[in-house]
Amino acid sequence: MHIMEGFLPATWCIIWWIIALPFLIYGIIELKRILNQNREYLPLLGATGAFIFILSALKLPSVTGSCSHPTGTGLSTICFGPFITSVIALIVLLFQSLFLAHGGLSVLGANILSMGIVGPLAGYAIYRFLKNTALSMYITVFAACVVADLFTYLMTSIELALAYPAEIGGIAGSFTLFFGIFAITQVPLAIVEGVVLTLVFKYIVQLKPDILVSLGVFPKEKIESARSEF
Amino acid sequence: MYFELLENIAQNNGMRDISPYTKLLLGLGCILIVITSPGYIVPLFIAITLSVCILGIGKIPVRLYLTLLSIPLGFAIASVIVIVLVTGGGMTVFSLQVTNWLSLSVTVESLNEGFFVFCRIFGGMCALFFISLTTPMTDLFSVMKRCYIPMVLIDLAMLIYRFIFIFMEKAELIYRAQVMRLGYSTYREAIHTSGDLAGALFLASWNAGEDLIKAMDCRCYSGQFALLSKETPLQIRSVLLICIFLGFCCTLEVITADYTIIPVSI
Repeated sequence: MHIMEGFLPATWCIIWWIIALPFLIYGIIELKRILNQNREYLPLLGATGAFIFILSALKLPSVTGSCSHPTGTGLSTICFGPFITSVIALIVLLFQSLFLAHGGLSVLGANILSMGIVGPLAGYAIYRFLKNTALSMYITVFAACVVADLFTYLMTSIELALAYPAEIGGIAGSFTLFFGIFAITQVPLAIVEGVVLTLVFKYIVQLKPDILVSLGVFPKEKIESARSEF
Repeated sequence: MYFELLENIAQNNGMRDISPYTKLLLGLGCILIVITSPGYIVPLFIAITLSVCILGIGKIPVRLYLTLLSIPLGFAIASVIVIVLVTGGGMTVFSLQVTNWLSLSVTVESLNEGFFVFCRIFGGMCALFFISLTTPMTDLFSVMKRCYIPMVLIDLAMLIYRFIFIFMEKAELIYRAQVMRLGYSTYREAIHTSGDLAGALFLASWNAGEDLIKAMDCRCYSGQFALLSKETPLQIRSVLLICIFLGFCCTLEVITADYTIIPVSI
């Protein structure tokens, strides 16, 4: 999904940066707050960040000025909320553009918006909606991860379509084309990603449930009952 | 792996001892000029000059540089083809009606646009590689600190940076162990094993990270990494030279704004 350096014209680069900035600033404030509260979260923050880095580096070529890959943002959205996730995405995307020439510096704003803001916000909405229902915890995690991944690609398609509208059909025409191409590779990838992240979540429930309880990810009773199944 | 390689190169390149500010001025300045350029000549010019810099002064092996460049440029060509087909204007060279809402056509203007976008990606990529191949991450951290980026952000960035390497190490270990126990012998088995790998990897690096932070706490870690950076003084001569180069690019940008690869007025 990373848009390449130089792919977007300067005006769009600036617009996406301006939209992304308030989220990042709020994210940094939020990050300061939870770290002052409890330093124990630091290793989990680092691990989710590195996990996002690795997962979103597994790229497949896609013919839309971009590529297909898992995003991995679902897990940190559930644990830390969408705003801190956007800060993690900022760091991860910066590293990826510098280490792997994957993404770029001028298009960082656009990439943060799709992978760090829109995707996580959508995933978070699903998670909040399903959190207190009778549905299994794992299905909630799975759904949030899949939705976060798909919305990331939806946003990327919008960004690409706005910069390069089709001659006939305009923005809507090129959006359908870009999203259509993405959907071929992305729907299966999103499902695989959902399964993998749910599995990781299951490991966390099994081995370190305390941190999930203290972050208020799921009610204590739910985690306890899930643990008793093992 | 790939990015470990880039870091290693950056730590040992020929421009290691030049101040990171000088290198960032050139790299970021070029990116800015490339994305604001209205014509294809300046991005192409910047791509070529920066490549000469990377190969000549940075002493990066030519073959390695070409391999690195070929990956993003391959992606770029694929994306440019889509732009050529989707956008339009000017004389039509080739047209194909796929469905009633989508028609693919190649026109003079879309070819020009496609070539222009390709040059912009090429120029941007060279500028990005210039930064990543000559400036190690550790130098960038100290630059960030000097630029008043919030400490909590730099701290988390350094932590994630360290975690990525822990991750790679653990991944290799676990993967080898799985292969030795025939974890990838059949397709079904492989899916199951890679799921296990992901889960185990996450927890293993989480634990390693906890140990890391405990170890740092013992050494009075207060939520702020002490950064030891070699202070290399800014050289006025090279800064001036870069300013002249960037100024030249800007002028060239104005002069060559209307140049297109295929003349529009036929």
